[in-house]
Amino acid sequence: MNIKIALAGNPNSGKTTMFNELTGSSQHVGNWPGVTVEKKEGNLKGYKGVTVVDLPGIYSLSPYTLEEVVARDFLLKEQPDAIINIIDASNIERNLYLTTQLAELNIPVVAALNMMDIVEKTGIKINTEKLSKLLNCSVVETSAVKGTGLKELVSKAVEAAKTNVKNVPTLEFSKYVSDAITGIENIYNSYEYSPNSRWIAAKLFEKDKLVMENIKLPEDLKSAIMEIVEEAENKYDDDSESIITNQRYEYIEKIVKDTVVKQKRSGLSSSDKIDSVVTNKLLALPIFFAVMWLIYYVSISTIGDMTIGYVETIVGFIQVGVENLLTSAGASFWAIDLAVNGIIGSIGAIFTFVPQLMILFFFLSLLEDSGYMARVAFIMDRIFRKFGLSGKSFIPMLIGTGCSIPGIMASRTVENEKDRRMTIMLTPFVPCGAKLPVFAMFIALMFPNDAWVGPSMYLIGISAVIISGIVLKKTKLFAGDPAPFIMELPNYKMPRMKGVAIHMWEKAKSFVIKAGTVIFLSCTVLWVLQNFSATFEYLGAERVDESMLASIGGAIRWIFVPLGFGDSWAASVASITGLIAKEVVVATFASVGSVIPIEFTQVTAFAFMVFTLLAAPCFAAIGAIRNEMGNWKWTLIAIGYQTGLAYVLSFLVNTVGSFIFRGTSATERKILDISIMEEAAEGAVVNGDIVLIIFAAILFVAIGFMIYNKFSLSVKKAEAKA
Amino acid sequence: MPLTMAKAGEDLLIKKILGRDETKNFLETLGFVIGGIVTVVSENNGNVIVMVKNSRVAIDKSMANRIMV
Repeated sequence: MNIKIALAGNPNSGKTTMFNELTGSSQHVGNWPGVTVEKKEGNLKGYKGVTVVDLPGIYSLSPYTLEEVVARDFLLKEQPDAIINIIDASNIERNLYLTTQLAELNIPVVAALNMMDIVEKTGIKINTEKLSKLLNCSVVETSAVKGTGLKELVSKAVEAAKTNVKNVPTLEFSKYVSDAITGIENIYNSYEYSPNSRWIAAKLFEKDKLVMENIKLPEDLKSAIMEIVEEAENKYDDDSESIITNQRYEYIEKIVKDTVVKQKRSGLSSSDKIDSVVTNKLLALPIFFAVMWLIYYVSISTIGDMTIGYVETIVGFIQVGVENLLTSAGASFWAIDLAVNGIIGSIGAIFTFVPQLMILFFFLSLLEDSGYMARVAFIMDRIFRKFGLSGKSFIPMLIGTGCSIPGIMASRTVENEKDRRMTIMLTPFVPCGAKLPVFAMFIALMFPNDAWVGPSMYLIGISAVIISGIVLKKTKLFAGDPAPFIMELPNYKMPRMKGVAIHMWEKAKSFVIKAGTVIFLSCTVLWVLQNFSATFEYLGAERVDESMLASIGGAIRWIFVPLGFGDSWAASVASITGLIAKEVVVATFASVGSVIPIEFTQVTAFAFMVFTLLAAPCFAAIGAIRNEMGNWKWTLIAIGYQTGLAYVLSFLVNTVGSFIFRGTSATERKILDISIMEEAAEGAVVNGDIVLIIFAAILFVAIGFMIYNKFSLSVKKAEAKA
Repeated sequence: MPLTMAKAGEDLLIKKILGRDETKNFLETLGFVIGGIVTVVSENNGNVIVMVKNSRVAIDKSMANRIMV
């Protein structure tokens, strides 16, 4: 027999931590609501044929955001054999709201009072036995972080699933509401039978959209039900869903009074104290920018820079080793070339940047784990609202600095459909980790003395987000105000090294997999296309212009002529291979450039960088966009917009740049010297000092903005008085 | 009065939440129910951070204005 047990609970109650403990998985955890946006399955350790399903957090069975729909649909449509309801014991009243709803689902529920270790420290006492009796389901005290209580929890859940003893919900509504629901139940029963008829009737009373759509009642029955609902709404002077919510909370309040002994709150908690500083009117933005600057400075300019040398030495060592090995094995010249230059050389050029990215990811996961991420959304809400987005859209973009794919997925927490689409569309503008090597290469080869070039890519990316936001909000597709900002702010906590380690390990693993599959394959294909003619004759370095790659590049290069880099076929090819993975752009230049000279001017190089920054992301990210948009129409709109904007801006850079800098060194043609590419480093992308200057500038603008706001506010007040 | 005008640190009784829409219902599931107690932790240009049912929730000005205490 195959048993499926679902983990359900409020956001940030520790479901994924529990899931990892129960199944031995290493799913990403974080300390902000909305880390898990997709359901994950795993096998329960120590049991055969038991699957555990981790679900996104939900506050209730009436979903408000998209990831909540995922959880609710699973619970209602796929009907797990049992539900483990994870309750954050430090926040029991709010968490029990969902519990009362889960108990009505006709599925066995076992409640896990999680985070008991924290609760005991704060002096709150919970009478578990009594709670279990009142809720009419097993309640087990657990701590997922410490691993306590899990054995008992699991055995109870499996037993509940096997015996299939359902909980009889103990919640009673007021006489009036209860009668109204019975009335609806009778009407519904005249149409069809369901063992869940009471629950369905209650949902119909709440005018729940999904339930209404699913059961397709005839119009006359529908209006009879609506009559009952409207009568109740008039009596309570509130909408029916609120009536139910209020009564549910009244019921929970009674339970909590009977089972929980609270100690009086003594002043501010340490989280409140931290919040009073980091969400402070004046300090919030400066602190945020300082944190971001520190992250980039440390990961890219200092520690990251030091590791680059080691990676180069290792890559060089492998190259020489493989070359010797193949030579002694009597391999043909072209096989050696393929292995040493085509594959190891190209992947090595990319690998240089991995340590820095790892450190960047380390800091990003510290941000997520500490609880600061949720505050960042709150802080940025004020600014993002100015150009029509909610602060929640900032989280996907911040995550997108590492990789666009999790960023695009994180957009599910954005409530408003139009804003969610816009967030998906704009998140790839934030330079992701894979684009950094491209910039680093051009900076090292074309702009060795211009420290502003790297940060300018970030500024252009962010400006593209802001300007697109303002402009797109004016169009019909995206018009409308963003949803009001409501977000739970979790308690701050020390990041768990295990969680942070998991996050970094996952990133490293996914990069190695990417390098071993997609990038390896495309390097090989590129090398073949570059070294063979259409008739599969080996050409070698001298006749590369006759190669298949050259013909392909030649056929498409006219597209890029207006952008300034269409005169050579190599650059055209590179801008297409970037679709496979942005790192392959570097590999392409490394591979082709080591054979024939590729010419750029500083202006056209900059145009190429702008194009890479903004144009359609890699196929994997496009897949993620397709997934989140749900259809190809919106996917194509997004990619079309990105590529269109990239083309226009790149064209402007080339045309205006060529005009302004005509006759200067900026328009002088230079050959890309691939041999010094290994010296390319992200240190060149984000030079420490220039970052400092730019952050200081942003800080000043922010402070100026605030003073201006204050000033205009006091002027308005004065006017109002007058 | 609306929540935006409340002083920080005081326990306030929720009297009514204006409007009828999804956002209002979402607020209610978070524990903003009539008769419930809410405390303003901090205020930032009308955006507030409040404690409700022992959890900390950030709400923007437009929504805070609809919560009457």
